[in-house]
Amino acid sequence: DDTFLKISIIKIMHRPPNKFSPPGGFRRADHQIPYLLCDSREKKSLQCLRICKEYSSEVLLQLDPFLNELTSMFEKSKEKGSVWVTLKRSSLKSKLQKRKLSSAGESIEYRCLIRATDAKKTISTSVGAKDHQRFQASYATILKAHMTALKKRERKDRKKSTEAEKKQGTSTTTKPKKL
Amino acid sequence: MVYIVSWDEFVDRSVQLFKADPESTRYVVKYRHCDGKLVLKVTDNKECLKFKTDQAQEARKMEKLNNIFFTLMARGPDVDLSEVNGKEQMETQSVKKGSGRKQ
Repeated sequence: DDTFLKISIIKIMHRPPNKFSPPGGFRRADHQIPYLLCDSREKKSLQCLRICKEYSSEVLLQLDPFLNELTSMFEKSKEKGSVWVTLKRSSLKSKLQKRKLSSAGESIEYRCLIRATDAKKTISTSVGAKDHQRFQASYATILKAHMTALKKRERKDRKKSTEAEKKQGTSTTTKPKKL
Repeated sequence: MVYIVSWDEFVDRSVQLFKADPESTRYVVKYRHCDGKLVLKVTDNKECLKFKTDQAQEARKMEKLNNIFFTLMARGPDVDLSEVNGKEQMETQSVKKGSGRKQ
């Protein structure tokens, strides 16, 4: 952010004071991040700023190290916790770089940015058009190997014909219609 | 949050959302092993589509959706998806490839 806020720091706290929620909402790792309680001279109100930079750095990795780290994230999160994986299209360039490229008449190369986090650390990697198929195969293998806590269908359902399965729902879930 | 019940509807609307705004649409998967829950989210920061499940069979369907999004995001929103998933029938268009600098 380019805007500067004139603040005087009142105190450093380890949790945000009750009245405040940090900008952008609470994140799971927030209890690990110190907060600055500040008096904003410009806005004449109390602001509670979260010191983010040193705590939430995202590590950009090559494809194979990323897959290894992702595997260890899943393994660490077996007893408790979540793993988030985010896919987004990105050129990995800043607005300025994009503006320069498009004014020079060059096309911008896009990649698929993949991020993974377990709320303690974040890793990322990007795949281009040439390597995404190899990556998606390895990625699928990891997911299949680790998403084992999901419920399997009961055996008696499998013995019935697929038509009967579609019509009869199980007691736990509603089944989606097939095209 | 809007949880979509039908898998196919979730897939169709997600792909539509991405094609309408490929720059800001993202696809998020959250897995909790301790609860055995899987949540999928597709949002362009204006609209949010979510799907949740605890079924292993839905995880297999999610793999196909992963492939769809990898292809869309790596190659471009105009890519022909019928090669990824036999069910998808999209207009055949030329594949977008960056011809500029390498990363």
